[in-house]
Amino acid sequence: MKVVTGVVGNDIHVVANRLIDLSLRARGFEVFNLGVNTYLEEFFDAAVETGAEILLISSLNGEAEGWGREVKLLKAKYKDLDNLIMMIGGNLVVGSGSAEDIVPKYKNYGFDLVCHQVDLNTGLDSLEEFIQQRNKK
Amino acid sequence: MSLLQEEREIILNNEFVDTFDFAEVTEFVKNASKDLFISHRFKNKDKMLVQPRGGFPTYKKQFALNEFFVEANVDVLPLTIDSNTRLNDYATARKMLRLSEENDVDMLNGYPLVNHGYRTTRKMVTHFNKPVSLRHGTPDARLLIETAIASGIFEIEGGPITYLLPYSKNFPLDKAFLYWKYVERVCANYSELNEPINRESFGPLTATLVPPAITIVIQLLEMLLSLEEGVKSFSVSFAQNGSMIQDIVTGAVIKKLAKSYAEQIGCGDAAIHLVYHQWMGAFPSNRDYAEQLINMSTVIAAMVGADKIITKTREEAVGIPTKEANAKTVANTQYTLGILNGLPKVVDEEEEEILTLEVEAIMEAVFNDPADTLWRKVFNSIKNGIIDVPFSPHIINHNEMITIRDAKKNIRIIKRGNVPIPDRCYEYEKSQCDLTKDTTSIVNDIVRDIGIMQ
Repeated sequence: MKVVTGVVGNDIHVVANRLIDLSLRARGFEVFNLGVNTYLEEFFDAAVETGAEILLISSLNGEAEGWGREVKLLKAKYKDLDNLIMMIGGNLVVGSGSAEDIVPKYKNYGFDLVCHQVDLNTGLDSLEEFIQQRNKK
Repeated sequence: MSLLQEEREIILNNEFVDTFDFAEVTEFVKNASKDLFISHRFKNKDKMLVQPRGGFPTYKKQFALNEFFVEANVDVLPLTIDSNTRLNDYATARKMLRLSEENDVDMLNGYPLVNHGYRTTRKMVTHFNKPVSLRHGTPDARLLIETAIASGIFEIEGGPITYLLPYSKNFPLDKAFLYWKYVERVCANYSELNEPINRESFGPLTATLVPPAITIVIQLLEMLLSLEEGVKSFSVSFAQNGSMIQDIVTGAVIKKLAKSYAEQIGCGDAAIHLVYHQWMGAFPSNRDYAEQLINMSTVIAAMVGADKIITKTREEAVGIPTKEANAKTVANTQYTLGILNGLPKVVDEEEEEILTLEVEAIMEAVFNDPADTLWRKVFNSIKNGIIDVPFSPHIINHNEMITIRDAKKNIRIIKRGNVPIPDRCYEYEKSQCDLTKDTTSIVNDIVRDIGIMQ
């Protein structure tokens, strides 16, 4: 399966981005890594261009909270993205916050899977599980 | 008028520069005190020079910081530049400087040198009468270094590769080479007037599992690009990498090869120095542990035989350090250096041989690129992945090389990508690691290897 991934906004934290790339490949995904410092439009453009089934956005400095609000609005402008699996992970809040508050907020923004400060492999396990469940339907 | 001089006049005819008086600046450099030149200090040094990091937005706070450093017996003063200036955004830097001056809150993460100007900054530099080192991270540093040298700052850090690949996603690398060529030529020209201006490369790169072979190749290439423009004093550098023996081997190989490659291009007369950075990776948040780590870095620097050490502070994990914490490290480091006597000479011939072969193979591949000039050969080599920097955010970087730590915490290459590591060396590197693990556990190891000091 094809995955588009990258770090959203003016965030230059590159380490986790490389590790996500590496781990996804090890699990057999075809990865299109846009790297750090990527804007929402670029993510959706890449999803259309590559025909990706999954979009995995990450954030470390917490900027995602600002960008998240615009996801639904922007995604609606694209055709054929209705089946795109939307996942977001990393540190999803500036300062501190609990997953109980953060997860519903991001689900509301239009994400299917939300991993706030979740270990990388646990997060990718949940992605694979989600794909399995969806394929059963 | 030469093309370079024409370019200089364009660069310095800038709304943020208050008339640049070329003749006056030339006179100033010609008659400047020898004590301002680190190249002069290196020539006459009897100990490892200690240099902290530090930059505040206002003149007043920078002056106060320098007073603390001098009190702590500093050898070289730093001047760290704010990030707006690094991106040539002098308008924002000016606005933030004003806010910092009016409100007593720091709105910049360094000293906006262009906005302060050379006439003001020179007063501070000549007052302290110690060498000052310019620390920045600027791909286009043309205006910045003109201002720095006119201020009496006679050491310029950086380079087209080391100030780009760790910091930027898409600033064009070919432009960076040309902008730095200007820097080298201006430094070379001023070097004829008095003692040489020292150029220093930034060896730590991404400070994340960079193998010594890559560090050394990039240090050598930036050195050659600088020397071929006429620079006469150059410092290669690297950072503590987590294994004492690997640092000692890196130091031995870089010293040997820097001299030999400089001679090969007919620049054997240039003075080459070695700079060691205390741990540049993630620091422990426990301030006492941070001090232990800093102290250990100093010991390794002495084992490596560095000419200068660049310090961290006990507040590294927290944010920009206070002047008190910063000066404390300087005093502590000087103390440690003073009591480090009777150091043993440690040599690991096998590791040195492997590392030398790796560096020579990569250098040969760069030189064999068909381009006509060295900077184009280097540019092509980065584009082709012959040079590949782990964890660089830049789009031109290949990111095919994978490195992990072995049982002794040496950084090893387990996937070479397009980097021409000779087969024998590659087999040796891999044989030091447990490669029977699956990728998931290797990723976990990498996470642990990055946070080794936390």
